[in-house]
Amino acid sequence: MADSIRLFIADDNRLLREGLVTMLLEQDDIVVIGKAPSGSDALEQIKRLRPEVALIDIGMPDKDGIELTKALHQDAPGVRVIILGMIDLTEEIMQCIEAGAAGYVLKEASFDYLVETIRSVHRGESFCSPQMTASLFSRIAELASEKIPKTQNDIKLTARELEVIHLIAEGLPNKAIAQKLFIETQTVKNHVHNILDKLQLQNRLEAVQYARERNLLEKK
Amino acid sequence: MNNKNATIHIMLASRPKMLSEVIKSMVEHQPDMEVVGEVLDPIELLTAVKMLSVDVVIIAPMEIKGEPRICVHLLEKHPLLKIIILSSESEAGFLYQSDAPVLQIKDPTEQAVFDAIRRSLRK
Repeated sequence: MADSIRLFIADDNRLLREGLVTMLLEQDDIVVIGKAPSGSDALEQIKRLRPEVALIDIGMPDKDGIELTKALHQDAPGVRVIILGMIDLTEEIMQCIEAGAAGYVLKEASFDYLVETIRSVHRGESFCSPQMTASLFSRIAELASEKIPKTQNDIKLTARELEVIHLIAEGLPNKAIAQKLFIETQTVKNHVHNILDKLQLQNRLEAVQYARERNLLEKK
Repeated sequence: MNNKNATIHIMLASRPKMLSEVIKSMVEHQPDMEVVGEVLDPIELLTAVKMLSVDVVIIAPMEIKGEPRICVHLLEKHPLLKIIILSSESEAGFLYQSDAPVLQIKDPTEQAVFDAIRRSLRK
């Protein structure tokens, strides 16, 4: 009993909640130390009881599973959360992970699978089904591609930015560039900022070097 | 089920799977009850009740708005059948039967549901 996984169950479906408690009684290594029918009730109890693992229904009244997980992540960071979800929706799973969940199990999964997930999450692993893992990897790849520095062919400097970079290469300061282009000095600063941001460079010199290496200055 | 000591045959129509397994486990812990089948949709349910010897159907969860059509259909064809519906909206259960008005199980604990089934079959 001393080594048992201390589990909390939060689900508004009474039959499921009570039934899981009863079924888990047969597992020697899991002990249910508390249960709640709502998110706010669960939050109060979990903060007090400090279970090791909390099984949380995603669709509870007053505070849904994601909100509760966020709150627990802040108020009871040692509690590892498994979300019980209804649909295999990548965005929902991503929200759960962002909220701090360590596992996601569909209610369409079997009881045995749930028990294995509880054990895995208790061991410190993060857990979701192979199907969900595949869709998650796809989504992560999409997000990563949005953040990875773009290749030179992807980077599109505007005509004005090219003009600015050309004038920087001629050694003109912002004020002179502004006069030459009939724009405000602040606007030049904005262009320079945008150029450095787009090219992910640190300073004007790097921008000029970048432009030279790619023959951008000769095109002017 | 005419014999008072006979096993009560239960058909489950429940989703998601986890809830279905929970209810099945509860039934299996009742010494006088047995799950004879599990179905996932109303068509399957109508067929299964016709094919098998079923005393009670447990449907969970379902949104209750008046007497569900599935109950009307089933009770018309199988007047001895008892149907328990566990509501999806509130923590309530309902027992439908052809020879008595709808019985609401206000606090549908495991014990309350199974007691209602036994009473309805053994009256």
